[in-house]
Amino acid sequence: MEKTNKKKALWGILAVAVVAVAMIAAYICFKPGTSAGAKEVTIQVVDNNGETTSYDVKTDAEYLKQAMDEAEGLTYSGDESEYGMMVTTVNGVQAVYDTDGAYWAFYVNDDYCNYGIEEQPVNDQDTFKIEYTPAQ
Amino acid sequence: MIRIPSRLNIRLHSSDIALVGMMTATMEVGKFALSYLPNIEPVTLFIILYTLTFGPVVFYAIAIFILLEGLLYGFGLWWFFYLYIWPLLALLTLLFRKQKSVWFWTVFSAMFGLTFGAMSSLITLVLSGPAAAFAYFISGIPFDLLHGGGNFVLMLAMYKPLRKVLTNINHHLRDKRQEERR
Repeated sequence: MEKTNKKKALWGILAVAVVAVAMIAAYICFKPGTSAGAKEVTIQVVDNNGETTSYDVKTDAEYLKQAMDEAEGLTYSGDESEYGMMVTTVNGVQAVYDTDGAYWAFYVNDDYCNYGIEEQPVNDQDTFKIEYTPAQ
Repeated sequence: MIRIPSRLNIRLHSSDIALVGMMTATMEVGKFALSYLPNIEPVTLFIILYTLTFGPVVFYAIAIFILLEGLLYGFGLWWFFYLYIWPLLALLTLLFRKQKSVWFWTVFSAMFGLTFGAMSSLITLVLSGPAAAFAYFISGIPFDLLHGGGNFVLMLAMYKPLRKVLTNINHHLRDKRQEERR
């Protein structure tokens, strides 16, 4: 009986390990890809009045957050969440869903960004748009 | 063999109100106390043990816990997957409630942690399509691994001592109910 229980426990642990290894493999294969080196990207901020401010950035950044940090004149802040930084204020304009009924939407080459700014890859000639978006 | 309970008796007895309060408070405080550790949470542990000990009354505690989470941290997208993930955990626990092995529940809670991101990406799948859901799942894998590991360790360490304490509370409540009936 004791032996059977130990065997079952071992099988269970093995199953957990197999799932974990499969997930690590999936992460390595499919994680957002980046390219290192000099890149030229544009970051556009569309504020709550619909006015657009553009920043041309020459950067080695692999992820958007670093490119935003390097964009002269662009300021932003946000809250740290378990999924990374949630941007709430850009150039002094706050968009918090619960209090302002709006949020900052992020686009790359007109497609909605699927990743947070710390994981969003930056490629040469990318155009990022950060748009103040009222809730529907 | 797995058997679904033939009748989910979730009628609330007066003494259950304090019990529901205790369950909700420990889940909320426990989650807050471990919030400085990324994706390590005792909610899975508590829901499994409460379901095994007290049965379907746990659904009341889960409902209040989810509501409190929304009120405290805002009703973001994550809140909507809480609506089905935690009740699903209690439901699965009820299905396997005959299992007594600490290892079974350790593996079960680890698997729940590992698949948390996949389950929560269902909302993204509905709202934004398969590509966004896949990206969401992949970028969350490091957090899922931490979640699974945390659940594994917490359940392995706490299953036996907590189960003992909770069983004592349950016996005490049962005696009280019987006294009330007399």
